[in-house]
Parts: sequence; C-alpha cells; structure tokens
Amino acid sequence: MVRDTNKHFKFDWITIILFFLLVGFGWLNIMSASHTGTDLNYFDFSQPFGKQLVFIFLTFGLVILLLAIDAKFYERFSSVIYIVSMLSLVGLFLFGKTVNGATSWYAIGGMTLQPSEFAKTATALAVAKYVSDLNTNINSFKDQIRTFVIILIPALLVLLQNDTGSTIVYGAFFFVLYREGLPKYYLSIGVSIILLSVLSLKFGAIKTSIIALLFLIGFHFLSKKRLRIFQSIFILLVSIAISFGVKFFYQSILKPHQQDRISLWLRLEKDPQKLEQMKRTFAYNLNESEKAISSGGFTGKGFMEGTRTTGKFVPEQHTDYIFSTVGEEWGFLGSAFVVIVFVLLLLRILHLAELQKSQFSRVYGYGVASIIFIHFFINIGMVMGLIPTIGIPLPMFSYGGSGLWAFTILIFIFVKLDSNRINEW
Amino acid sequence: MAVNEKNILNRLYFIAGCMFIFGLAVVFKLLSIQFLQGDVYRAKATERVVKNDTIPANRGNVYSVNGNLLATSIPKYDIRLDALTSKAKTFEKYVKPLCDSLSKYSGKSSNKLEKDIRRARANRNRYFLLARNIGYSDYIRLRNFPLLNLGAFKGGLVVEQTTKREHPMGGIAQRTIGYERIDDKGNVTRPGIDGAFGVKYLRGVDGQRMKQQIGKGQWKPLSDANEIEPQDGYDVYTTIDVNIQDIAHHALLAQLEKYKADHGCVVVMETKTGEIRAISNLGRNKNGHYYERLNYAVGESHESGSTFKLMALAAAFEDKVTDTSDVVDTERGIISFYGKKVRDSKHGGYGKISVSKAFEVSSNTGIVKVIDQAYRKQPEKFVDRLYDMNLNNDLDLPIIGEPKPIIPDPRVKNGRWSGIALQWMAYGYGVSFTPLQTLTFYNAVANDGVMVKPRFLKEVKEFDKVIEPFEKEVINNQICSKETISKLQALLKNVVEKEHGTGHRLYSKNFSMAGKTGTCQKDYRDKEKLNYISSFAGYFPVENPKYSCIVVIHEPDKSVGYYGADVSGPVFKRVAQKIFTDTPIVDEVETLEVKMGAVEDEYQHYYKMSQKFKTIMPNLVGMPAMDALAFLENMQVDVKVKLDGNGIVKSQSVNKNTKLKNNQTVVLKAS
Repeated sequence: MVRDTNKHFKFDWITIILFFLLVGFGWLNIMSASHTGTDLNYFDFSQPFGKQLVFIFLTFGLVILLLAIDAKFYERFSSVIYIVSMLSLVGLFLFGKTVNGATSWYAIGGMTLQPSEFAKTATALAVAKYVSDLNTNINSFKDQIRTFVIILIPALLVLLQNDTGSTIVYGAFFFVLYREGLPKYYLSIGVSIILLSVLSLKFGAIKTSIIALLFLIGFHFLSKKRLRIFQSIFILLVSIAISFGVKFFYQSILKPHQQDRISLWLRLEKDPQKLEQMKRTFAYNLNESEKAISSGGFTGKGFMEGTRTTGKFVPEQHTDYIFSTVGEEWGFLGSAFVVIVFVLLLLRILHLAELQKSQFSRVYGYGVASIIFIHFFINIGMVMGLIPTIGIPLPMFSYGGSGLWAFTILIFIFVKLDSNRINEW
Repeated sequence: MAVNEKNILNRLYFIAGCMFIFGLAVVFKLLSIQFLQGDVYRAKATERVVKNDTIPANRGNVYSVNGNLLATSIPKYDIRLDALTSKAKTFEKYVKPLCDSLSKYSGKSSNKLEKDIRRARANRNRYFLLARNIGYSDYIRLRNFPLLNLGAFKGGLVVEQTTKREHPMGGIAQRTIGYERIDDKGNVTRPGIDGAFGVKYLRGVDGQRMKQQIGKGQWKPLSDANEIEPQDGYDVYTTIDVNIQDIAHHALLAQLEKYKADHGCVVVMETKTGEIRAISNLGRNKNGHYYERLNYAVGESHESGSTFKLMALAAAFEDKVTDTSDVVDTERGIISFYGKKVRDSKHGGYGKISVSKAFEVSSNTGIVKVIDQAYRKQPEKFVDRLYDMNLNNDLDLPIIGEPKPIIPDPRVKNGRWSGIALQWMAYGYGVSFTPLQTLTFYNAVANDGVMVKPRFLKEVKEFDKVIEPFEKEVINNQICSKETISKLQALLKNVVEKEHGTGHRLYSKNFSMAGKTGTCQKDYRDKEKLNYISSFAGYFPVENPKYSCIVVIHEPDKSVGYYGADVSGPVFKRVAQKIFTDTPIVDEVETLEVKMGAVEDEYQHYYKMSQKFKTIMPNLVGMPAMDALAFLENMQVDVKVKLDGNGIVKSQSVNKNTKLKNNQTVVLKAS
C-alpha cells in the first residue's frame, strides 16, 4: 500500500506548481492584452482569454491522462510517436492552412492545430530513445550523424513551412547532446561560427578575418595544447570563408525582412532618418513593446490598468509579445518574478534529470529543459531587443491551445518519467 | 563512455550556467529599460500618445456672377464596421437586420453581405468597409441601421469624413473654375480660379487642437477650446454668367462635333468692364468626346491669321500711312517677297479694291501690300505702334499658364525677324497671341479705344461681408485715336453687313454684329500635316456694344470645312443671338426703399423720450402698452411693472416727472 501511494504521489510538485503558476499568470496577462470593449465577461469564448480558459481547463484532463499512462509507454513507443509526428508535418504541405505566411496549421472545424508544436516533444523522445540505446555511442561520428538526422528532419520540415522560429528551437538539442558527451570541439565550432557571423556582419569580413588570424596566433603561443601549424592555417581559411560566406548569406539568401531585423539588432543602420523609419515599420513591434515595458516602472501600472496594453499599442501582444504586458502592468517586480520562475523551473528540471537512473529519462529531461530554455531565450530576448526578432511564443504564457498543450505534454511526460525513477525499468 | 564524472558535472554546470546567466541578462536588460533608459522611453511614449491634430478649415465656395454655385466643398463619408466590437449576442441579434437594411440601401444580396460580415468578424477585421464616399443624408440613413445605431463602442460603427470638391454645374467651365490638388509629394497643381485663389482666399487657415490617445484610434481633445481656431476660406464670386456659359459651351460643342475638330474655345467678355461672362475650352479625348481639357483660351498662343489684320490696319490708320478709301492692287491674288508667295484665298485676286474692301474680303495680298508700302523702310515704326496698343504685353492674369504674345522686332535679335517678317506679320503670321489676348484688343475697339483687362473675379466674400471687391482695370485708356477706332468699327461692321464680307453668312436683320474671320494655316511647313485654325472675333450689338466674343477652333476636319466664317462664325452667331434674345432691354430694377413716415416719427419720439427720462417717470398715457413696458424695463432704474390689460395705456400709478427708485412697482392700466 505504502509503495502504491508513493507511486502515485511521488510526482515532483515543485515542477507542477511552477508550471501552473506560469500558466495562470499567463492567462491574466492574455486577458489584459486581448479584452476589448468596456465590460468584461471571463467566459466570452469569442475572445482569446475566454478560449485560453477553455484550453487551460482541458489541460487538466490532459495532465491526468499523461500521468495515468505507464511510464514505459513513452520509451517504448517513442519511435512511433516520432514517425506519426513527422508524417503530420509532411501532411501540412498537402492540407495545411497558411496563417501569417507560415503554413503550420491544420484547420479542424473551427479550430486550428499546429503540429510543429508537438513535433518538438516527439523529437525529444526520439533523441532520448536513440541516445540511450546501448548500441549508440555519441562519440562515434556515425552515431552523431544519425542523431543529427533525427533532429534535422523536423527542423527542415518546419523551415520549409516558413516557420523560422520553430526551426531554431531544434538547436536546443545541442545542449542535450553536449551533456551526453558530444565532443567539445562541436561547442567550439558552434560558438566560433556564431561569433564569426556576428563579427562579420557588424565589422565586415576583412576585419573579422584579421581578428581570427590574431586569435589563432595568440592561441598558438599561449595555449598548452598546441595545434599543428597546418591545422591552424586550415582553421584560419575556414574562418575567412565563413566571414565572407556570412555576408553572402545575409545579402542573397535571407529575405528582406530578416535582413532588416538583423540590421536593426546589430545597429548596422546609422542613418537616423532610416532608423526612425524602421521604428515605424518592421521595428514597430519592438519599439512599442520596449515602450510598454519601460512605462511600467518598478511596480507596474496594475492589472488591467496598462494604458498601452488596453490601448492595443503593441501588436500581437497576447501571443508573442505577452511579456510586454507583464512589463507594463506588473513592472520590474512582475517581470523579474516571471524570469525567476522560468529559471527555477529550468534548473529544477535539470536537477531532476541528473537524478534519473535511466538514461532515456535523463536525456529527455535535458531535452525538455533545453526546449523551454530556447523558447524563453528567444521570446524574452526578442521582446526586449536582446536578439533579433524571431516569432516564437513564450512557453505556458502566450495565447494558443497548441502551444499550451504541447508544453503540457512535454513537461508532464517528464514528470511521469521522473515519478518512475526509483522503479526498475 | 568517455565522459567521466567531473566532466559531466562541468557540462551540467555549463548548461545550467547558460540558463542562469541568460536569466540574469534579462533582469539587467529589464533594469536598463525600466530605469536607466526609462526616461527616454517614457518621453517617447507620451510623445506618441499626444498629438497636435489639425482641424482643416472649410474651403470657400466659387460662385457665378448670378450666385450659382460653381465649386463647393462637401463632406463625404466612408462607413466601416469594426466587426469585433459588438458582443456575440448583440452581433447575432442585429447582423441579419443590418444586412437587410444594407441590402435595401445598396441593392446587394443580403445573404452575401451577411456572409462577408461574418467572415470579417471571424478574421478579426476591425475595418470592414460598408459604404464609401456617401453624402450626408446617406450617412444619416446608414447610421440608423440596426447594430450601427448602437454607436462606435457597442455596435462598431466607424465613420471617416473627408471633404470633396464638387462642381454642381457639371463640366461647364471646369477648366476655368479649376481646382487645387496637392499630391503625396506636396506638389500642387492649381489650374483655374480655384487654383489661382486657393492660397489667398479659398483655403482658409487650418486650426489646431492637442489630442491625447486613449485607445487604438481613439483620441480625445486635451482641452475644451481649440488651441488655434480654424478660419474658413472666403467665397469667391466669379464673373461667369451661368446662362451665357451654358450657351457658349453648347454652341462650341455642337460645332466641334460637326467639324470633328481637335479642340476649341469660346470666350464672352463684357465690353465695358472686361468681366468674362463665359469661357469654354473643349478638347477631344481618344473616344472622340469633348470635355474641358485645357484652358486653351488662356494658355494656348497661336499665330492669329486674318484676325490680326485689324491690328495691322489700326497701326497703319493711326500712323496715317493709309486710309480706308485708298485703292490697293491685289495683283491677281499672288505677290512674292524674296521668292515667298502671299496668296489670296480667291483665285485671281480681287483686282484693284479699296483698303476697306480688302479688309472686308480678307484679301491677304491687299493688306500685305498696304503694310509693305507703308512700313518697308521703317518696320520698327510698325512694331512700335503695335507696342503702343499694348499688344506685346501679357494680360497678367491670375490664372497660371498665360504665355507672352510674340511680335517680331527688327531690333531684337532672337531669330524671329527676317526680310519678310513685316509682310507676313501683316496678315497674321509670325505673330502669336492667345485667344484672350486677341479678344482684349477687339474688346478695346468695341469699347471706343479703352482697353480693359479681362477679369474672372467679381468679389471675394465672407458670408455676406465683402472682403475684396474687384473693379474694372484699364490697361490703356486710349489705344489709338477716336478717328481710327471709328474706322476700325466700321470695317468690322462691314465684314458682317456687306454682301462681299467674309462674315456675311452671319448677317441677321434682327440684330447687329461686327467681327473678323480668321483662317490660319497651322503646321504649314509640312504639307502632310497642314491644318487650320479657324477663328472669329467680334462684338455685338454694333451700336453701343455689350459683349465681345472670340471663337477659336483648332484643326477642323478639312473635308467638312475650315474657313473661319464657316467653322467659328456660327458659334459666335449662336452666342450673340441667344444673349440678344434672352437679355431684356432694361435688366435692372431699382431697390424698393419707401420710407414710412409714421414709423419714422414714432421712433424719433421714443428715442427722444428715452434720452430725456433716465430715472424719471415719463408720461406713458397714450403709448401702446408693449412699448411702454419695454420703455420702463430699459430705464436706468429697476422698476417692477404690472400691466393691466393691453392696447393703449390709459393711466399710470406713478405720476409723470417723479423720480423712480429701484424695485418700485409701477402699475399701468391699458384698454
């Protein structure tokens, strides 16, 4: 009996509480951002906050369902779930509905469903399954490639659907693989490429190449682990190629709106008149959102009191720009609270993941944390202008049924796996 | 596994560290946005929510001389629906009735409308167009439709008002009435009167009001009063007479259509004052229809042809180098100068005829010979004489686009002068005038030598107050001697009256006209393109002329005809005939101002009394009770008046010449 009780109630309540804290606070802000007119009816289901309330209620059922299923099911059927999920992504090309330029939705009756949200969970399961397989050695190049393929399939599919934001999310798996022993040079290569790209865009390819050269010379003389001279030269050549390649990529492959966003982020545009024009066009959202956050001050204007929020100054505020509502109405305290809750949730999940006996659960746990982190990073970064604009929702917070349920599934599968950690597999 | 314990921990710390550091970064950025740069952003925020709203001034109207509206600004409305504002229940209840009403209004199917509106609501369309550019009465009608009558906040009615310039008289004189248009780049196009007087009179001054944004698209004024009150534009009263304009327009149109001409114009001017009563400019579009295209009368300068013979003879008469009775040999209709030939339209010429007849039959050789003989030695004298008659000056019109006249001058080296310039000038080639410039000269002849400036404006008014009246402007008090003028008048009269005159086809025994035909070759340097400008300039009636008029028609179809008398003459005749028969002999009635002695006397009595009795009770007996009451109430003391009965005051409770006190009661008895 005692064991049984343990089995049912050994769920990690901290995670669950943090999760619902975010969902609840998110709903309040959706209400602020989306209600119209003078009188407010919480159950006006034609409005986003009304719909979101329905989604939240359905979430409870979903949670119970997820926790009721046997933990082993998730591991055993992860491949099936992955394949079904990929098929649902492919199906979008045939039956998908295009909203805001991205063909990411199925329209079922009056509802729309976004399969790419669920594909993240499926990919996390598949990666966990493959990496934890006894025959897989993450240090072997062949297995690395296979793992990459598992991740790249959904990433490419969503990219083809014009959903750049979701594609970047799959970068999250880098953390997972790194934890599982992916050689360090991947990290060095990844960081180097990002650095080179940013430097090249900001200062030009030639300056970047010179910086790379100086860095390599410094590294050559200062580091204990000396590279052989031709290795250094090879790295230098590749660095130069990247520096110049990025320029080409930026000018010829990126779409104009993406160029604009990057140019704004790196402050490449110096002409104040053009800058002013940018603020009125594609940077309008960011500009308005920063002003809304700024107007909140330390304690904020109070719930439903944000003039810029109720005045609908910030477009898409109830979805991607929900954080600006927090900034305006709850001020610095509220925003910091949200950030702290997110960081606590992430660290809690990482902590739990480390406690797992089963490698599958651990890898999956890292997947969960990484996916939430990337969403959090990109969304908050975008809303506050830390990184270029990439449309992606804030987990648990932003309006949208698919997103909410996808994160519910993502997190509660882990909660279930975690509750099972002391049991034999 | 190659990963050892310590390694793993390091990796865990790396990942956790990344997340933690990012959390910190967010908090720092928050601090920076909310506190460090807070003031900057907050300043921007208020800047955005308060705006200086412009209240456009109403543009003034343009009226005809008889008070008809020629151009006015009227409000137009765009009605849109914010399909999201209304609550689901309200929306469902009223959407069907709304669509039925709209269907009745627009004739579109109610079901289709309902489908569209429902889709708009599903798509969160807050700006669904219901009707565009509708007038005020339609706007009032739509505003009372179901759902829309709930207003902006409950029903989602969105109204946008714009101002449109309308021409109630239609296409008539449109080019002269004109417009003022400002495009996106701030370039202004302003033809006609509306354009010319836009800045000075019609536009008015825009007002300003500070407004604060209280929601998306909702602005409320910051204070009760406007920071700057708008000043409406003044009304402009033109000299255009709608009736004459109408006649001129249609007469010209009929003739253009008959001759399939490219374009033409007609101007009617009041002889004494220079006021333009009608100005019609019609050009042909690709489909062969005519419309007010360009202001040809003001802006198109062309070689005059035979109408210039009047100017040429005026100069010659004035210099006394020839006279009407002198005989000139037209030499079989051809004379050559430096190998270039002047021909008469009549083969073989007219033989030896008087100068007078040469003008009346419009003999090119005759007139050229007269001028050649008179001025060959000193052509500058001829040119100076033309200058004396103000022919080299433009009219300095307010309407833009008037070119300067062209007169070749041997002293000016601009390539216009040549060995044959004088001779060619004599019959209207090498010189160039706009129809209005030519008309101004003809009008001066009609006006016994007084050259008045053509005017389009009568006065500028603000409601009934005259802001600026426009008086007759004299360009030249006497362009030439009376003697010359009467010779010219006789010549013009004979052109129509004499049987050999080129204008005799216009002759009518019922009313008299005088004028000169002109048939000018256009593009004569290229035989292929050779075309004609047919004109007729003159005035009517011959004795004591009332109006002068010019008709110019460009490029008539040669197969139908091209002589000035055939093409342009009939327009002139039609205009003259119509005005002549329509105008009563005496067209003004003196204002009725009969002074009524009794009323005047009574007022004087009353006024004197009020001056005399300021605080002293007057004798009110015999006064009408109403007047007595008013009198007492307007005195410098406050008295209470009780009136008994009405009619004439019979007695008063206070005796006359008693000093009145405040709040004293006075009882008046009346029968």
